[in-house]
Amino acid sequence: MAERLITDIGGMPDGEVPRPDVPMLFWEKHMIATFNVLRDKGVFNLDELRRSVEGMAPEAYKKSTFYGRRLDGMTDLLVEKGVIDREELAARTAEILRAGTRDHG
Amino acid sequence: MADASPSFALGDRVRIVDLGKAGHVRTPFYAREKVGVVDHVCGAFENPEERAYGREGGRRVPLYRVRLMQRDLWPDYEGAPNDSLVLEIYHHWLRPAREQEASR
Repeated sequence: MAERLITDIGGMPDGEVPRPDVPMLFWEKHMIATFNVLRDKGVFNLDELRRSVEGMAPEAYKKSTFYGRRLDGMTDLLVEKGVIDREELAARTAEILRAGTRDHG
Repeated sequence: MADASPSFALGDRVRIVDLGKAGHVRTPFYAREKVGVVDHVCGAFENPEERAYGREGGRRVPLYRVRLMQRDLWPDYEGAPNDSLVLEIYHHWLRPAREQEASR
C-alpha cells in the first residue's frame, strides 16, 4: 500500500477551513509569471511541479502557503534539473533582500 | 506498449481500484474501491504519473469522468440520497463492475 500523499486529504477529519482575505504580494505575481514562462518553454511540466510539492517535508508543507509551496517546488525542480545552483540562488536572494523589494522593506 | 483492456463507454459501471502505487498519482484515497458510472469520456492524455518524472511523449491513456454517489463515499453522509460527485480517473485505475457490485 502506497503512502497517502500530503495533498490527498479528502475525507480526513480537520477543523474549519480558514478563508482569510489576503492581498496578493508582488513576489507571488512575479513567481507565477516566471513559473508559466518556464513551463511554456518546456523546462518542466505541471505534473513535475505537483510531484515536487508533494515531496515536501510534511511540516514544511503545512507551514507554507499556496505560493510558498509553488516557489519551493519550482526551486527544487530547477536545482534537480541543474538549471540553477542552490548556493548561487541563496547568494542572489540575500543580495536582493539587502537591496529591498516591494514586499520586503 | 499497447493497452489490451477495453475502453469504457458512457454509462458503464466501473470500480476505481487501489493500485497501491507510490509517487505522483491522481486518484484520491477516498475514491478507491468505490463503484461508479462513466459520466463522460474525456479523451486520451499522457499519463501524469509518468510526466511527473519528466517522462513526456509517452502513450496516451483514456481519461473518464466517473460519477460516484456521495452516500457510497461517506458512511455518515446526511445530504440528499441522490447527491453525487464526479472525478476524473485514468483508465488504468478502473475495472469493469457488475450490476450488483457495491462500493467497499
